[in-house]
Amino acid sequence: MRALSTAATGMMAMELNVQVISNNLANMTTTSYKRQRAEFQDLLYDHLSRVGTQTSAQGNMLPVGIDLGSGVKTVGTGRLMSQGSMTQTTNPMDVAIRGDGFFKVQMPDGTYNYTRDGSFKTDAQGRIVTAQGNVVQPAITIPANSTGLTINAQGQVSVIPAGTTTPTILGQLTLTRFINPAGLLPIGDNMYQETPASGTPQDGLAATDGTGDLLQGNLEQSNVDSVSEITNLITAQRAYEMNSKVITAADQMLQATSNLMR
Amino acid sequence: MQNAFLVGLSRQVALSRELDVVANNIANMNTNGYKADGSLFEEYLATSARSDTGGRISFVRDRGIWHDMTAGQIESTGNPLDVAIDGDAFFAVQTARGERYTRNGAFHLNATGQLVTSEGDAVLGTGGPITFQPNDKQISIAADGTVSVREGANKTSTQRGTLRLVAFAKPQQLQKDGGSTFKASPGDAPQAATGAKIAQGALEKSNVRGVVEMSRMIEITRSYTQVATLLQQQSDLSQQSVDKLADVPN
Repeated sequence: MRALSTAATGMMAMELNVQVISNNLANMTTTSYKRQRAEFQDLLYDHLSRVGTQTSAQGNMLPVGIDLGSGVKTVGTGRLMSQGSMTQTTNPMDVAIRGDGFFKVQMPDGTYNYTRDGSFKTDAQGRIVTAQGNVVQPAITIPANSTGLTINAQGQVSVIPAGTTTPTILGQLTLTRFINPAGLLPIGDNMYQETPASGTPQDGLAATDGTGDLLQGNLEQSNVDSVSEITNLITAQRAYEMNSKVITAADQMLQATSNLMR
Repeated sequence: MQNAFLVGLSRQVALSRELDVVANNIANMNTNGYKADGSLFEEYLATSARSDTGGRISFVRDRGIWHDMTAGQIESTGNPLDVAIDGDAFFAVQTARGERYTRNGAFHLNATGQLVTSEGDAVLGTGGPITFQPNDKQISIAADGTVSVREGANKTSTQRGTLRLVAFAKPQQLQKDGGSTFKASPGDAPQAATGAKIAQGALEKSNVRGVVEMSRMIEITRSYTQVATLLQQQSDLSQQSVDKLADVPN
């Protein structure tokens, strides 16, 4: 019976939906996390009788056909790149992006990854690094004993070197944009990798040509909305239950058939 | 007597097919833009093998499946690339198989900045696919489908195209083609839709109503079991008649 496998696709899709929702909820307080959404589409149809088939030589045709669907498929778990809200941390090394763009980070193997998590630290050499110790591009070294670290909206990093009173600009952080940021590959640690779907990275400066600006002393929260996640969870759970009832119903019908033979 | 079995069988085949339709509806409860299906049955009169039974017996057969084209619930998502249609219309999508129509407005961008569906097929505007530039921001889609953006640091908006909305004279003749899309039937070409509005930041959910599908399913299983019982009784009857009539006295 086709209904059995159709309902099974429904159960699998809802299971995946719950997985996506639980990952969103688990990352509710992850800095700069972007929530995912499972998207579904109906599977192919078996056209048992085609609509528009002529039923007589006079040109009468079938107004409706018989199209039996075979269930549902997951077409993707798209990431929603909307802005997360800001929390003030007063830590001068925390930088949030307001608008489009990613920080470019060099990995130990020399490749570049992208992140919106601006909770930066300094390493032993004074370079600005991410929480995992990967250098934020372009590499900016903060001299020892300097004070008054400022990162302005355009990403210019300035400090007051030891023994002086005037600030010196050390460099400018770049922001990278993608035409399709939702097409980036998430690799964990709040990092994303370039893919053929994301388009090529376009390095630029903050607050110019449509790129977002930077906000020192703030962090971008995750954009997970707990209320909508919980409602989605309820819908997914109920849909899962209903699909399992279809399997029970199909099973009962098969049982009734097999009981005919004694 | 065999007629009772055959009539019962025709009912069971029809019921199991109806359950397949219900199963597909329930499996697509969370599919955006999905339209529920319903089954249509008709009576099929056949002459009986024997003329003394009143001449004709009636079988059931499934004639078709209709699409419930009522609008699904609109859910607000806040995502600028999610669009829902308010009214009788479809989005036009260019797939590898040809032009298809959908009510699923969960759109994305691809690597070249084109507006595409989740499957990567280009969403058609009135002048072909809609393409954005790398420095476009604040994508806004007006009620009439006009897509506009702020380009770079510009303060004024630039138009990037208009979403093409189509309607059909006979929406029942549309054929489902998987991937939440419909295929136009040969005799019913898509027309420009009138009176439909677009809501940005919202998605049309599936119009499957869980309660209705559940009650239909109960009805199907119960009728199926009833027919099975009927067939059982028929079988017992013929068993008895064979036993009694063929009981040759010693």
